[in-house]
This record gives sequence, C-alpha cells and structure tokens, in this order.
Amino acid sequence: MDQKHGFGQQLIGALASLKLTLFVFLALAVGSILGTLLPQGLSEPELQRHFGPGIAGWIAAFGLHDLYHTGWFRLLLLLLCVNLAVCSLDRLPKTIKLMSRREETLSAKKLEKFSTRYSLSSQHGPEEARSRIAKVLETAGFPSQFVPGDQGHGLIAEKGRWAPYMVYVVHLSVLVVLFGALLGSILGFKGFMNITEGEVSDSVAATTGHGQIMLPFSVRCDDFSVAFYDQGTPKEFRSDLVILENGKEVRKQTIRVNDPLTYQGITFYQSSYGTTLKEAEVEFQDKANGKSERIVLPFRQIRLIPGTQDRVQVVEYEQDFNRFGPAIGILLQKDGQKESSGSWILVDKPDFHGNRIMNYGIRVIRAEASQFTGLQVKRDPGVWWVYGGFTAMLLGIGLAYYTSHRRLWILALPEGKGSKVILAGRASKNSLAFEQEFNGLCERLKAEL
Amino acid sequence: MVTSSLLLSITTFTFLACSVLYMAGGVFRQKQLFFVGSMVASGSLILQTAGILLRWKESYDLGYGHAPLSNLYESLVFAAWAIMLIYLVLEYRTKQRSLGIFPCLITFLAMAYASFSTNVDAKIQPLLPALKSNWLIAHVVTCFIGYAAFAVAAGLSLLYLAKGKAMGSSNTGPASGFVPEPRQLDELNHQMVLFGFLWLSVGIITGSVWANSAWGTYWSWDPKETWSLITWLVYAAVLHARTMQGWRGNRVAWMSLLGFACVIFTYFGVNFLLTGLHSYATK
Repeated sequence: MDQKHGFGQQLIGALASLKLTLFVFLALAVGSILGTLLPQGLSEPELQRHFGPGIAGWIAAFGLHDLYHTGWFRLLLLLLCVNLAVCSLDRLPKTIKLMSRREETLSAKKLEKFSTRYSLSSQHGPEEARSRIAKVLETAGFPSQFVPGDQGHGLIAEKGRWAPYMVYVVHLSVLVVLFGALLGSILGFKGFMNITEGEVSDSVAATTGHGQIMLPFSVRCDDFSVAFYDQGTPKEFRSDLVILENGKEVRKQTIRVNDPLTYQGITFYQSSYGTTLKEAEVEFQDKANGKSERIVLPFRQIRLIPGTQDRVQVVEYEQDFNRFGPAIGILLQKDGQKESSGSWILVDKPDFHGNRIMNYGIRVIRAEASQFTGLQVKRDPGVWWVYGGFTAMLLGIGLAYYTSHRRLWILALPEGKGSKVILAGRASKNSLAFEQEFNGLCERLKAEL
Repeated sequence: MVTSSLLLSITTFTFLACSVLYMAGGVFRQKQLFFVGSMVASGSLILQTAGILLRWKESYDLGYGHAPLSNLYESLVFAAWAIMLIYLVLEYRTKQRSLGIFPCLITFLAMAYASFSTNVDAKIQPLLPALKSNWLIAHVVTCFIGYAAFAVAAGLSLLYLAKGKAMGSSNTGPASGFVPEPRQLDELNHQMVLFGFLWLSVGIITGSVWANSAWGTYWSWDPKETWSLITWLVYAAVLHARTMQGWRGNRVAWMSLLGFACVIFTYFGVNFLLTGLHSYATK
C-alpha cells in the first residue's frame, strides 16, 4: 500500500482484503463445526452433569452450548458483512471504469500481444471484409462497433457486459438475507402454544426467554387427529383451527404438517400433540373417621375437600404411568400447613396400596382425558427480505456461472488485392471455453471471407 | 417379474464393470476399453433410470405414492444416478474418456453401499408427515445434483494430483499422456465446483424455504443445515482463492477434495454421528 495513505485507507484495505474473507470463512466453518459437535441448548446444570464442572466452565465461558447466538459468532457474521460491503464498494468503481473503457483506435501491434488471436486472409478489401465480419458476429450474438485502425479498418465486439456485475449481486444478496434475519429477530417473535380440543387460547409461550405473548385474536382447536398407515407409522397430523375476533369466528382452517395457517402475519404450524386431563372425579376417604367425599377436580384447579379446609388439585396426568395404565398426580395441602404432599394415584387399580396421601385413601371414579394440539407460532416480517436475497443469490450465481464478459478486437488490413484480418479475443473468465468459442468463430469467418 | 430392486441390483454390477473397464483402460492405455466402458456406463444409466421410475410406480402400487427420494437407500441410488449423468455429459462435451475412472468408482461404491450394507434398508416405506411436500423433490434433487458435481470435481482433482505425481517421477507414468493436460483438468475442476456450488445453493435455499413452510424457521442451525453451510463456505473459499488470488493446480485440487470430504460428512457423518431434523435419513 502507498505510504501516503493514512490509517483510514489501511483499515479499508484490511477490511476489503481477501485474506479477511478467507479468515472469516474459515472461522465461521470451524465455529459451526464446534456447534454441531457439542449438544446445543443445554442448561448449565445439564452441562455440569455431562462434562464435569471444569470443562463445563470453559464451555459456558465461550457460550459453546448456545454457540450460534453468542456475541463472538455474531461478531464473525458482522465481520463477514463488513468485509463483503467494503470489498464490493472498493471494487465496484474499478469494474465500472474497466467496463466503460473503450479503445478509440486499433493497431496491429496491440493485437499481436493477445494470447488468443488468429489471422486470416480475405479476397475482399478491408472495408468489405469488415462489414462481412460484423454480420457474422451479429448472428453469433456479438453486437459490434466500427472503430478506425491506425491502418486499415477496426471492429470491436462484446457480449455479456453485465456478467462482471453478477458477483456484486451475489454479495448484495448475502447482505440482504442477513438483514432479513436481523429484522425478523428484532421485530418478529417465535413461540409455542398448546390448545386442548374444544378450548380457546390467545397466549403464546415465547421460545426465547420465559415470556408470554398475547395474540390480538384468539384461536380455538375444534379437533385434533392422527392418521396412521396400515403398518402403524403416523401418516398425518391435523388440527381444525378457528380464529376468533371478539368471540366471532373469522376464519376456519385445517392445518397439517407442511400446511400452516397464517392470519394477520402470524403463522401457526402443526408441531406436536399430546394427551392431557380434562377433569377427574375423585373419592377421598378419611382413614381417621371413615368418611368419604366425592369431588370433581378440573385439571390444575384447587378445590377444598368438603367439610374440611384441606386443599387438593390434580397437577399431573400420565397416560401410562410405569406401565400401570393412566395415573393422576394429586397435590394435597392440609389445613394450616405450608408444605403440600403429593402422590401418583393409579386410575385403573383402585386397590393399589399407594393410592393415598397422608390420612386420605384416594380412588379415581372417572378420569376424562382429552387431546391437545401443539402449535408453533411465528411472526417474521423479515422473511420476504430473506426470500428476496435468496432469489437474487441464485440469479447471481447462475448467471455468473453461465456467462462471462467476452470481447473481440478485429482489424482488417489491406494486403495485395484483398486484406489480412487479425482477430484477438479475451474473456473475463473460463478462458478454455472461450478459446473454443473463438476458434469456432474464426472457422465461420474463414468460410465467409 | 421385473422389479425395481432387480434392475437396481443389476446396475450395481454393471457400474462395477464400468469401473473395471475405465481403470483397465487407464492402466493399459487402451482407448477401446474406455469406449466399451462408456457404452456400459450409458446402458447402466438407462437401466437405472428405469429402475428409479419403476420404484416410483411401485410406491403408488403399495398405496404410499411418493418419489423415490425419501430415505438413505433411495438417496444413494439417486446420488449414483446423478454422478453418472453429470459425468457422461462432461465426457460427451470434452471427449475425454479417461476422466471416468473416479466418477465410475464413486458411483459403484454408492450403489454397493446402498445394496449390501446392513445399515441401509431398501424397502419402500411410507412417507413421514414431515416429508409430505412438493419441496421434497425440489430439495433432494437439487442437493444431490450439487453433491454429484462435487463428486465429479473430486474425481478430476484426484486425476490431477495423480497425473502431477506421475509426471514428477517420470514422464512415462501409467496415466500421463493419456489424460488431458493439467491446465484443462484444473479448468474442468473449477467448472464442476462452480456448477456444484450453484446447485448446492439452490439445495440449501429450497430446504430453507421448505423448513419455513413446515416448521416456521428457515434456519435453525440443525447439524445437517450447519454442515451444508460449512460445505458451502469451503467451496466459496475455493472459488474466491482461484478467482481473486489466482490459485491453480495442486492447491485448488486439494481444496476441492476438502470440500468433497465436507459433502461426505454432511451426507453420512451427520446422519450417523449427530442428531437432528434429518434423522429419518439413517435408515
């Protein structure tokens, strides 16, 4: 670099350098590899259990258990963007200058310097030869332009002028994709909601953090069903959803995996399902006085056992508890005590000796289970930027692959009664294929002259 | 009765015959052997195409009705098909039959692995709900065209390195003079890498758009996604080093091989060693 240039110039030079590009590629690759080798998303206690406190400390320090969201990984992505932007802005003016430069005149001496060149003789005079060449080139997709030669008649032809710009399209597309991702992560949200059949909900548990997101409308699940193939593997998961605004049905749609529902920019994806308890009728028998009381316990709602101040609720439900069939988890808080005690009560085995908590023997009369559907919920205003970037990227790479900027310089010199024609050519890349094209053109010209 | 598994088993052996013919042609410097190899390869490709189409039809007869691109067996068969197709087009365009040694070998290995490994289940299975989408065909086909181009590029790189070695030791090594000039091999390698890069990009993007329409995330750093990005970065580095830094020859050949190693790991390593969204591809 020039000594006169100051620190700013040097910094720009460093940020635009290919060395930085290759370094960022390598660093991103190595970082990503680490992320695939270590399980992602584990909590710190889980890390301690897996790796022991020493290694877990290092993993946590570098954020390797949530690598793709760490500051240093994001910094690398930022560096990639800066490198891309600076190097593109640095090179674009040079490309434009190079593309707009045109020879005013041609000389035989200049053409002799090209490695891809050819010369042939023609019976036609230079001017006639030149217009015949122009016609042939026209049909080969090379629009041409006459220029004077220092002696004789010159011709310049080119095609694929926009090919050198494709690389900038690809670079820009990467920036657009990353911008879309950033926009989505700032303005959008991602979460999860479980809706029991027949119930309505408008709250979404955010995937990141522990917050709740309230939807501006509510969703009801009318039905959830699973279809199976004959040999037993699942074929289809589907939920019949209804969107409600102020209690009024505004939209009704069945969703499946691969077939989500979008309303007001918020999309609901079929993600999981499960079974939960709706309510259970339970009999409590006080062993001390033999008195029995039956109560209906809706899932996770506290009730008092009649005639006492003892509070009970069903907090868990298992469809098959350790192969003993369905079981409900009941929590009991005796009057005046701070601690509650709980136990699993087997639904189908009323005589099981463990069906008791403290002084109560417990029997489940009826347990009404229902299915819930698990929905992934997402709002992502950046996704169209991402898709736009994708499209531009494919166009750019595709056109960069299939085309190159090809230029021909041709000079027809008087020679005896006819003329001597010198042809020279150059392509912005893939010189071997261009040589073939060039040779083909020369053969055609030979026949025409 | 002709079944798809019969046809595909036959192609496994005819691809073995191709590999032997091409290799013998290279070792004994017999152009006729190359010619026969090329004919057998073309015939095998037609037979394999029929096998794949028949398998597609059979899945409809079983009542499942999906394209044969849904598990490891089917993807291996398709990978072999794509490598062979791309190679034969390359051979036709360059008229250089000696390029076929490594692509044929890779094709045979893919088919042999699909047919004989106990890890690979050749049965036609019903489609999981997550895979029921038209994106399946777009995603798998584009990815595997990319992988196949990288496989052919890796074959060209091996040939380049082998030729360089042969020329280094003596001018009359077994392969020298019979394979294209190093400069042409280098150029073809670059062409193949660029072609593969384009299709890998399409493959990653179709996968991304599909994931967004099925799960609502276009990128979730799942190991398969991440490794395909790593592969993409390696090949992007190859292209930049060649275009901007003027790298040629051995260095580009080695980088192309490194890229192909990443492809192999993305394809197999991720399935067997890591877990993630693509776990159905292990059977």
